[in-house]
Amino acid sequence: MSSVSVEPFVSALNESEYHLREMAREGKKIIGYFCTYTPVELIHAAGFLPVRVMGGVGEVNDAYSLAPNFICPPLLLSLEKALKGEYEYLSGIVQGYTCDVVCGMVNIWEENIGGEIYHTIPLPYNDNPASREFFRSCISELSHKMESIGGTITEDSLTESLDLYAGIRKIVLGLYDKLSAGLLPLSAADLFHVIRAGFVMSPEAYFDMLKLLQNEVENAEIPGRRGIPVLVSGSLVEDPRAFTILEEVGGRVVSDDLCTGFRNFYPPDGEGDDAVGRLIDRYMKRFPCPSRIRAKERAPLLIELVKHSGAKGVLFLFEKFCTPHLADYPILRQELIKENIPGIVVETEETGIMEGQLRTRLQGFIEMLES
Amino acid sequence: MEKTRKSKKRLKAAKELNRLVVDYYLECNEAKAVGRPVGWMPPMNGAIEIFYAMDLQPVFPENWSPVCAAFGLTPQNFEITDGLGYSRDLCGYLRNITGYVHGEMNDERIPLGGLPEPDILLSPGGGCIPVMKIFHILERRFPEAKVFYADLPQVAMEKIQRHHIDYAVSEMHRLIEFLTEVTGRELDYDRLKEVVKLSDQACALWDEIMSYRRFVPAPFSAAEIGIMFVMVTRQGTQEAVDFLTAVRDEVQEKAESGTGVIEEEKIRLFWDNIPLWYNMGLFNYFEKMGGVVVAETYSAAWSLRLDPQNPVEALAMKSLISYPLVSCVSVEKRKEMVLKACREYSIDGAILHRNKSCVPITLGQMDIKKALEVELGVPSVIIDADHMDDQNFSVAQFETRVDAFMEMLLEKKGHEW
Repeated sequence: MSSVSVEPFVSALNESEYHLREMAREGKKIIGYFCTYTPVELIHAAGFLPVRVMGGVGEVNDAYSLAPNFICPPLLLSLEKALKGEYEYLSGIVQGYTCDVVCGMVNIWEENIGGEIYHTIPLPYNDNPASREFFRSCISELSHKMESIGGTITEDSLTESLDLYAGIRKIVLGLYDKLSAGLLPLSAADLFHVIRAGFVMSPEAYFDMLKLLQNEVENAEIPGRRGIPVLVSGSLVEDPRAFTILEEVGGRVVSDDLCTGFRNFYPPDGEGDDAVGRLIDRYMKRFPCPSRIRAKERAPLLIELVKHSGAKGVLFLFEKFCTPHLADYPILRQELIKENIPGIVVETEETGIMEGQLRTRLQGFIEMLES
Repeated sequence: MEKTRKSKKRLKAAKELNRLVVDYYLECNEAKAVGRPVGWMPPMNGAIEIFYAMDLQPVFPENWSPVCAAFGLTPQNFEITDGLGYSRDLCGYLRNITGYVHGEMNDERIPLGGLPEPDILLSPGGGCIPVMKIFHILERRFPEAKVFYADLPQVAMEKIQRHHIDYAVSEMHRLIEFLTEVTGRELDYDRLKEVVKLSDQACALWDEIMSYRRFVPAPFSAAEIGIMFVMVTRQGTQEAVDFLTAVRDEVQEKAESGTGVIEEEKIRLFWDNIPLWYNMGLFNYFEKMGGVVVAETYSAAWSLRLDPQNPVEALAMKSLISYPLVSCVSVEKRKEMVLKACREYSIDGAILHRNKSCVPITLGQMDIKKALEVELGVPSVIIDADHMDDQNFSVAQFETRVDAFMEMLLEKKGHEW
């Protein structure tokens, strides 16, 4: 039996800015995106590298000169980084329309950060033949835009990209299966690093690293992880300390409903008569973000995820001021109560979480779940 | 100044507007009583005209929020919403209407009879997130209502292409089919052409009315902006055209005779973002120092034209243009619009309402501020507030900032203060 290390992923994350700058210097176009509703396969198929723009944890100063303080911390922090030149390697932003703040932030970036491509895709909300046809037109519009800056998209290149990303998603979903079953020899914070690295690496290199990790996991000693099983639901998580604290106080993350987690990977692939059809099919069937769907439709999916993973309760980890999640929460809570699934809400700010307070609250939550 | 205050209105049309507001809400409740289907919908889209053409009753929960603010109902609605577990960081429209529909909606203490319960909900896929979430909440609150799941491309107005229009048109046709099915009423396309023609006339009158504000002194200020009520609720009706014609005549007469809002108009101001509905009197605050708010961002929402010969596409375009004007318009376009208004209306200074309840409009304001200063030399001041929640508005802070700003503008123009 061998041990499992996520060190390569942590290193890739830590060194990503350097590598991305190098790639850009060598002529590779790197396209940023905020939300996972952005069709990264299309960007990759054009010969560009899609990289998720993240804010991390820190202090906001300069960004307040362009944006109010009542928007979510990740977008403020990413603007802060951009104003400090940390995203200089980007050639622009392509974004699937999800929330108003991201839409506004793309506009602010276009105005103040610059780049040769800025594009927001008006994703349809309904799934029917007409909306899929419209989606196809939007994909065509974006393809033309990317071709205008030197990209080339063919049926073959898109198929290859779809295969690659599907392969990545399948491996990660396999890790999630093990996580739920208590058979993953990684902590929730480890898995967080593994997933996060994928946002800033070339998918080819990431896929290779994941295959190695998958192999290590298969051959590792079954950990027999203990703790009260908990599912984490929210938007994106920038600070893994919440996971660590949860596990330190006797909890165990068994699944999530996060866009830096399960939501980004499920389903791994779509079906269609051609590559664009396959792409569209996957994005229409995405495990939904609350910006795209009603709470009444999300609730059964969340409950199913809770039951499938064996979670005894839900930790709602919200970024402060995140309207889609905050607006859905009361309805989700009502539906969870009907199923006797307890929940707790924690909001995170720019500087991440307040450790002492969070520890006390999570301790209480875990004790309540135990009793 | 009080924290909540009604505006002082000077147009004769203001009295007529009060009657129109009362009549509209009476009509809404009568519709329910006589069995005319009532549909709740977001404002600023082309479904309004279709409703009037099919003799259905449109109701606008978003527009009800300013009414609640004016009548002081907002705090109790917020309290109910808080009790349901909704965050105070959510948009005030969402918090107000959620509380209202979960309270005593038609209690005798509710002014204007309250809103009639909906038979139909036009639940938007598009617009801003809070408006979508409002309708998700309404769907749950009114499970008997028939729901139309609308879909509208969220695209900046200057980026609209043929495929966006085609999809919006197909959605309009789907809406017409849905309404026919759930109400049993057929749409008469000749009637729709007439309604769209009236709507177009209202837009033309709106532009004309606004154009008289270019006169110095301005014939009316933002304190009278309640006239947009007819653009929100009555577009496509003769009533709106008649009212706007009367407003146009009155405003024209005032402009041409040089009758201003105050005796000596010294400073001409621009207001960005939604007004403070609970304190429309704030627009009169500037008057003591000779300031008049002569233009605002919001009024541009109805500056469009509709082709009656092609009514469905005209309404699809209206939907594509109107709401995105506040929810997904580019900074570039907003700058262009604000700068154009500031040039045309001879603006001396701009007030930028940093609105906690409306992030889409607030984002990009700092770029507008910079452009005003660099390109036009127009100074601006940021006011931190909220269009619905007076808890997020400090009178003292407002007065301090505005007084200093006005003093600076007066000095700049060589006036004494």
